[in-house]
Amino acid sequence: MEKFQGCPGSRMMNFNSTAEDNTPPAMGKITSRLTQWPIQMHLINPAAPYYQGADVLLTADCVAYALGDFHREYLKDRSIAIACPKLDQGQEVYLEKIKAWIDQAKINTLTVLIMQVPCCMGLLNLAQQAAEASKRKVPIKYVVVGVQGEILREEWIAA
Amino acid sequence: MEEYLNKPIKEIIAQYPGVEDVLNAYDIGCGPCNVGICLLKDIVAIHRLSDDQEQQLMVGIARAIDPKQDIKIPKKEKKSEIQPREFKYSPPMKKLVDEHVLIKRWIALIPEFVENLDVESEKGRRLILDGIDMIRSYADRYHHAKEEEILFKYFDQNADILKVMHADHTRARSLVKEMLAAVERRDRKTIAEDLMAYRELLAEHIRKEDEILYPWMDNQLSTRQVGELFSKFDEVDRQIEVSPVKYADFIDQLEKKFEKQEG
Repeated sequence: MEKFQGCPGSRMMNFNSTAEDNTPPAMGKITSRLTQWPIQMHLINPAAPYYQGADVLLTADCVAYALGDFHREYLKDRSIAIACPKLDQGQEVYLEKIKAWIDQAKINTLTVLIMQVPCCMGLLNLAQQAAEASKRKVPIKYVVVGVQGEILREEWIAA
Repeated sequence: MEEYLNKPIKEIIAQYPGVEDVLNAYDIGCGPCNVGICLLKDIVAIHRLSDDQEQQLMVGIARAIDPKQDIKIPKKEKKSEIQPREFKYSPPMKKLVDEHVLIKRWIALIPEFVENLDVESEKGRRLILDGIDMIRSYADRYHHAKEEEILFKYFDQNADILKVMHADHTRARSLVKEMLAAVERRDRKTIAEDLMAYRELLAEHIRKEDEILYPWMDNQLSTRQVGELFSKFDEVDRQIEVSPVKYADFIDQLEKKFEKQEG
């Protein structure tokens, strides 16, 4: 019988021996693409000007650490909020804030970036619940990031 | 073979008709296309065949062009081992694909509609005009207008594939014009021929859009543009004086009518 390994979200893994670094060294300092503050979901104000008509990223906390090119590939030209669907308390507030993005800030799109671990699906479910409860409809995309930074899935879901 | 890859497909088919059968075997329906200006190399690329299928297709075309000569097939650059991500339509493209469903239901009914054409009675002519209105208002004003006035503007207007789509829309409009005049003249034969021609045109047009054009466009559009398109389509739906429900009812009624006749 296979030994119980625990929750895939918190299972210990070491990538040192398997990860290969074939990428050329970066030329100079990598510029941050973050254009706002705050970013934590409890702290943000959904009515802030940088959310108005924006393409918004709702990102699980771990994503930016796993995804090597997060700033250039995903954060560029977008507004952001981060959250952890497993550990954060008071997520009903998040639901209301996402609804406010859609209905009041009239965001253009919502991209939910989550890790491959099962608990992260909670963030996507939350976004979908908020979208269903909103009066306006917006296109929602979700991106699943592997624990070693690979994109496992990227697709639009019905608006 | 290199010279043929850079030739418009219609020219190749005109010179070597066997090429059309080879393309058909791979579900590449260039034969009925009215324009045919796409280059062979672009057609092969856009259908995203596997390496093996692409090689077989090229051999088939080479044989259709000259069964005796040893035609050299240019070597293709090896594709990356990474598999393409699973594809789904973005919400604005999905909307257009969904709008196709009602048009497809209508064109499926056309053969029976044509069999029952009645140009003599007022009621019969009214029904024909309702059918033409389905084409003119729903398929053209409501659906094609979204493509021509919004979606296509995000792309190079000189792209061959867009020219083909525009040409299909123009052909559909000219059939509508002819049919309206034919109703006035009570010319049953022309109405029947034009409806069948419309059916053939739109069946192929929708297939090209659902399977080739929209997936290709989705790959080119940025997230920002997808959101913009979604809002613009939504705006059209709110402002346009065309009720999709009215046309869905029309199709429902026709389907029931023909089901009863068969039953």
